Amino acid sequence: MTTRRLSRPLLYVVLAGITVVMLYPFYYMITTSLHSSDQYQLGSGSYSLASWRNLFDVLPVWRQLLNSTIVSLGGIAIILLVSTTGGYAFAILRYRAATVAFLVVVGAMMVPLQSIIAPEFINIVNYWRINHLDSAIIVYAALGAPFSTFLMTTYLRRIPMDVMEAAMIDGLGWGRAYLRVILPLARPAMATIAVLQFIQIWDDLLVGLLFLQDPNVRPITVGLATIPGQHGLDVPLLMAGSLVSALPAVLVYLVFQRYLITGLTMGMGK
Amino acid sequence: MWRPPPRGRHTASPMAAHPRAHRSSLNAQRRRAGILFSLPVLVLVGALLLYPIGQTVYYSFTQWDGLTATWVGTSTYSRLLHSPDFQQVLKNNALLLLAVPVAIGFPLAIAFLLSSHLPGWRFFRTVFFLPTAVSWVVIGAIAARFFADEGILQRLLTSVGLGSVHPDMLSHPHSALAAVAITFIWGMFGTNLIIFLAGMSTIDVSLYEAARVDGAGPLRVLVSITLPLLRRFVQFAFIITLISAFTAIFSLIYIMTGGGPGFATTTLEFYGYQQGFATGDFGAAATAGVMLFVAVAVVSVVQVRLFRGADE
Repeated sequence: MTTRRLSRPLLYVVLAGITVVMLYPFYYMITTSLHSSDQYQLGSGSYSLASWRNLFDVLPVWRQLLNSTIVSLGGIAIILLVSTTGGYAFAILRYRAATVAFLVVVGAMMVPLQSIIAPEFINIVNYWRINHLDSAIIVYAALGAPFSTFLMTTYLRRIPMDVMEAAMIDGLGWGRAYLRVILPLARPAMATIAVLQFIQIWDDLLVGLLFLQDPNVRPITVGLATIPGQHGLDVPLLMAGSLVSALPAVLVYLVFQRYLITGLTMGMGK
Repeated sequence: MWRPPPRGRHTASPMAAHPRAHRSSLNAQRRRAGILFSLPVLVLVGALLLYPIGQTVYYSFTQWDGLTATWVGTSTYSRLLHSPDFQQVLKNNALLLLAVPVAIGFPLAIAFLLSSHLPGWRFFRTVFFLPTAVSWVVIGAIAARFFADEGILQRLLTSVGLGSVHPDMLSHPHSALAAVAITFIWGMFGTNLIIFLAGMSTIDVSLYEAARVDGAGPLRVLVSITLPLLRRFVQFAFIITLISAFTAIFSLIYIMTGGGPGFATTTLEFYGYQQGFATGDFGAAATAGVMLFVAVAVVSVVQVRLFRGADE
């Protein structure tokens, strides 16, 4: 259509070029990880699984993958709970101070973690505990809550009031209406929030770095970041670790692409 | 943790028992339910985001080692603002702003090419968006290999006969920051591309056809039709990109350069972390935190204003 005047072959050359730029890092990770440290340094063409074996020696890989999974799912669970209850209150129940409460939550989107990291850390040390997965879970939940609640509120505003009135006439009450009416209707937005937050939490470094300092409670992304400090610059090892840590989030993206894409643009709302 | 809304003192039984309850009691229950349902998110956000930002502001006026804080007024602010290291940090943040237009313009152009839905566009969209799923830690680890002295870039240069050019980008202050900026642009490409593709899918195709009938070329279509209609999306991408540049690339810097050489790639967010957790100067960390917060808040508020302006 609009590109008819541009020559098609040229267009594909441009797109293929960008494809190479976007995919090369993955190719590099895979091929480099298949060398031993010595092979890499000598630039030898032969392959070995030594770096992969080494990775499982220097990092408790399975444990850390499990930690990442628990932290991500735990964070998502809390975020889904508070964003649906909050969205229900702000979009449907709309009591007198609801607008103010909504603005307070949305305003919290402007608070970057790096701004509050020092007091946050001291608070958690003083009033809770570090080196337990739950400390990272609640911090991630708080970080994801404002945007997710904003998204959910925008989404739930589209529910016609008739639906709620019908629920009331059926004698559901506001509490049970949340369970029986709102939660089922909110499912698409919940899926979007879950996928967005999974990638966000899985890929994060700072929270895990500070709140989970013991190697056995570290998420995999943090484990990866600690390799260079502890084992010098072993590039194939680092690439094997990178691949392991990146793969779950990439798979989630490939499978649930649709939700991620709606999520990014849903934030713009109407 | 679901709990039913409390029963009103004056209503003998809950809604369920009296479907035709008085409107006023229905409203009272609705208000109580509203307040109850707001509580989880308000408590969470209040305790872990809003209270700490208040603390950050307070501690920025103190000397604080994490245990005891003594009031020092604005002296940390003036100490930082007069320190050459910190001036470098602010300059780095300002220089990173230069990457923002590139991080927007490039995917905008590609989105325009893809929006014609030429065969295979879904494949390209999936591939181009892939980096969005990859952590800055992984991106940084690879980028460090790319820009390193004997890294991929050097090999590329050598293979095209430019081996004598020896950029060694991560060892020199200006080029190190440029390397971080280039990596940042690479990492943001997919996110912004999706935003623009979503925007372009909202544009009525008949507008394009009408323009072509009138003899408009692709460039003319882009400038006169696509861009004005994409205004909201461009603004959205702008704010996401800018806030990411200021608050999301801590891990990229941590892995790729460690903030160096010197302070050449230290930004406000990284400086705050360093001061707090490497030097133990939590007061300076709080001060940097306040400045970062103010920068983000100003951008967000300006952005909201612009959005409003565009809608009216």
